[in-house]
Amino acid sequence: MAERLEVDELLLDPIRKTGRGFWIAFAALLGLIAWGAAAYLTQLRVGLGGTGLQQPVSWGFYVTNFVFFIGISHAGTLISAILRLSKAEWRRPVTRMAEVITCMVLLVGGGQILVDLGRPDRLLNVIQYGRYQSPLLWDATSITAYLTASTVYLYLPMIPDIAILRDNLHGKWNFLYRVLALGWTGSERQHQILNRAITIMMVMVIPIAVSVHTVVSFVFSMTLQPMWHSTIFGPYFVVGAIFSGIAALIIAMLIFRRAYRLHAYLKPIHFQYLGQLLLVMSLLWFYFTFAEYLTAYYGGEPEEMKVFWSKFTGRFRFQFWAMFTCNFVVPIVCLTRLKKNTIPRVLIASITIVIGMWLERYIIVVPSLSAPRLPFQEGSYAPTWVEWGELAGSFGLFSMFYLLFTKFFPVISIWEMKEGRHQAIGEVMERVKSYLPDTAEPATAHAGGTEVAP
Amino acid sequence: MRTPHAPPEEAPQPSPGEDRLVRFFQYAIACTPVVFIGGIIGWVTHLIRTSLRLHDVPSGAIGISLVSIPVFITLMCVLLYVLWGILNDRRVR
Repeated sequence: MAERLEVDELLLDPIRKTGRGFWIAFAALLGLIAWGAAAYLTQLRVGLGGTGLQQPVSWGFYVTNFVFFIGISHAGTLISAILRLSKAEWRRPVTRMAEVITCMVLLVGGGQILVDLGRPDRLLNVIQYGRYQSPLLWDATSITAYLTASTVYLYLPMIPDIAILRDNLHGKWNFLYRVLALGWTGSERQHQILNRAITIMMVMVIPIAVSVHTVVSFVFSMTLQPMWHSTIFGPYFVVGAIFSGIAALIIAMLIFRRAYRLHAYLKPIHFQYLGQLLLVMSLLWFYFTFAEYLTAYYGGEPEEMKVFWSKFTGRFRFQFWAMFTCNFVVPIVCLTRLKKNTIPRVLIASITIVIGMWLERYIIVVPSLSAPRLPFQEGSYAPTWVEWGELAGSFGLFSMFYLLFTKFFPVISIWEMKEGRHQAIGEVMERVKSYLPDTAEPATAHAGGTEVAP
Repeated sequence: MRTPHAPPEEAPQPSPGEDRLVRFFQYAIACTPVVFIGGIIGWVTHLIRTSLRLHDVPSGAIGISLVSIPVFITLMCVLLYVLWGILNDRRVR
């Protein structure tokens, strides 16, 4: 262990040393959080009247943020679980970062509903008198299940790494590491138990993750609002969630690669693979968006068409076309033929996708509420500084959670890297052999009549 | 065969009192799933009872609970299996 740790010593550096960059980032994020806190305190004092929310647009930035952040959470567990399950060896430096995103962002996303309530004490009513017939409560249940599963899925593969921290760092946090390491000794039996539990969790977490964003979409599609009452909202939301999740993961990877000098671990090949995944998701997102608008247009129902045209050519056209450019045009331009300048191109695409996906959530929430089916007057929505503050504070809080995590725990799984070096190469060779058809011939191949040595 | 790792020699030895405290917190962590997930299941059951009492579409509440409760129970079982399994295998250390 000691010998190998020398190789991965770099991964403990951010925990051992606190550089100037850390404090600058910490101060900047604290500023954003302070802005968010000031906005929230103002809202508590003056009520939701301090925001741009009103009838009929009673869901604005907060619900947009909620759907957006819950979507980002699919980065982690879903991608990590799929990569683990498919035994993609390039996953090793990626999974931990992805899993952390999930846990942190779910806390922030879930908190948006509390902010949207206006009066947080009303949460007690949900606990006491909640109606399980309401999709809102399905949401609460599925997000709780997802948060629990994601936290477990983050913690379990961290146990061997926490044991490494316990044995190598003897500072004031050693007590914490000793508790969280759960007496890990690295015995065969403990590895067996851990691997079995991780396998069960990665199988469980994929349907839970899919169900979460499907249930988030039910909040909209179970109503009769124009352009919400759609059967493809479930898969449309899931595709968008994975899309934005991968983009957020790439941004996080690039930030920590630079800040913690992880170039040896996060290589261009990782970004190339994730970029290709992003390109596929961009095309899928385009297809689902096209299908969603095609079915509305084909139906031609007057209430739906009002919302439809408000997005294409009306007052939401700027947001709509910006969304389209960010989620489809830029990714297609940046992510095709990724051999050259991989990292800058993947970064540009990821940043635009995160912006585009936030706009997509906004474009789903606000236009439908602005032109409701019920005999309300058409409404408009203009967020005040309170909502902008909440948005900035939410991003600040998420980034702060992430930053603090990297200060206490390695952002790349040390034991999985070690396992990759020691065992994976042999295992992969064995696996590839097992995929190929068994032949009775000796291990020689014939190419164009010429015998080729194995 | 994996080789268990030994702590580096320069590591300061914890006192028995500290060790007991660490163990106490570790077993507290191992009990958390029962408390947390048990609480959630209790809450879901309360919602079913409320819908039954108010005749408020109890079939809906029961239907959703039939999906959610087994998920939480499975999560609890996995957690208990791994936490207690690791905690009770300290022979090498």
